Amino acid sequence: MTIYSLYIFDRHCEPVYYQDWHRTRPVRAPPPTSFKPGVHRLPPSQPTDTSTAANGNVRESIFSDNRTSLISNGTTNSNNQKMSLPKGLPFDEEAKLVYGVILSLRNMVKKLSGRDEAFTSYSTSSYKLHLFETPTNYKFILLSDPSSDSLRFVLRQLYVGPFLEYVIRNPLVKVDSRVEGVDNDQFRSAVDRHMKGLSMFN
Amino acid sequence: MTIHGLWVISKAGGLVFSRSYSDVLPPQPVNTILTLAGILHGIHAITAKLTPTPIPGVTAGGLESFEAEGWGGKVFLTPTGTKFVVLHSLPQSGLDDLMKRIYEIYSDAVMKNPFHTPEMPINSALFETKLQTLMSGVNA
Repeated sequence: MTIYSLYIFDRHCEPVYYQDWHRTRPVRAPPPTSFKPGVHRLPPSQPTDTSTAANGNVRESIFSDNRTSLISNGTTNSNNQKMSLPKGLPFDEEAKLVYGVILSLRNMVKKLSGRDEAFTSYSTSSYKLHLFETPTNYKFILLSDPSSDSLRFVLRQLYVGPFLEYVIRNPLVKVDSRVEGVDNDQFRSAVDRHMKGLSMFN
Repeated sequence: MTIHGLWVISKAGGLVFSRSYSDVLPPQPVNTILTLAGILHGIHAITAKLTPTPIPGVTAGGLESFEAEGWGGKVFLTPTGTKFVVLHSLPQSGLDDLMKRIYEIYSDAVMKNPFHTPEMPINSALFETKLQTLMSGVNA
């Protein structure tokens, strides 16, 4: 059993917190234009092409990967490059996809059951996503491996434990802010400790 | 386990068949189910993109099942891109077998029918009666 990542969204559909553990395709930091402080601690994206970097402030282009492979390997196809190095999405785009999926599934479940029923999890062949929604519309989302049982209790524990203690009761955290997340050292280490203490972490 | 309903979604995302087999979930107008089937088709593509640990060279699979508080859904994707969606009660068991039998019935009653146009709504009395027998066996 493995835990991959944790997302917290607020009621404005904005990501306010992100942490990951065992991803083989790490998410990339978003471009500076859509950077929002206090959400994640991803290292800022490095230009992959050294020759571009030498030229100074050139914005990373979507073609830069292909160009590197073309320069280094002559007529190598880009397919080869993709296979050897699975590249992640930038964080802002990934967060939008995650939020879009849970919102659509939630609406679908609501419509099908005809009452205010929450969807709790979905799974694919390679991962399972668990959703826990608080009465204040914070959405806690956890990605784990597909064989795990329901992990909503873990999300609930995170909410009543570290989240209340270090975010809600912390006067320095700007709760309900659209320009800043809720990240702080205590919260991050408490979440980390909690996850690493779980039997399904690994 | 009770089967609440079955949808068949074509590879283009259009709903070609839908039936309800219990009255636990409220009946929906066809247009609503049509929209939901389209949404599910889109969700299937996005969920494959969110895979945290893709294996290089292997295409990541999309949504396979989802769960609400008292019921869930199972999505079975055939190699040709047709999706079967079964809505069922929780806890479930033996759904994989059921999916295979539905697929079998679909192959026999729909795909082998020379008058059936692929990707078009399924109008087959044989398909419906065979499914009805299968479902009443499961729901009993």
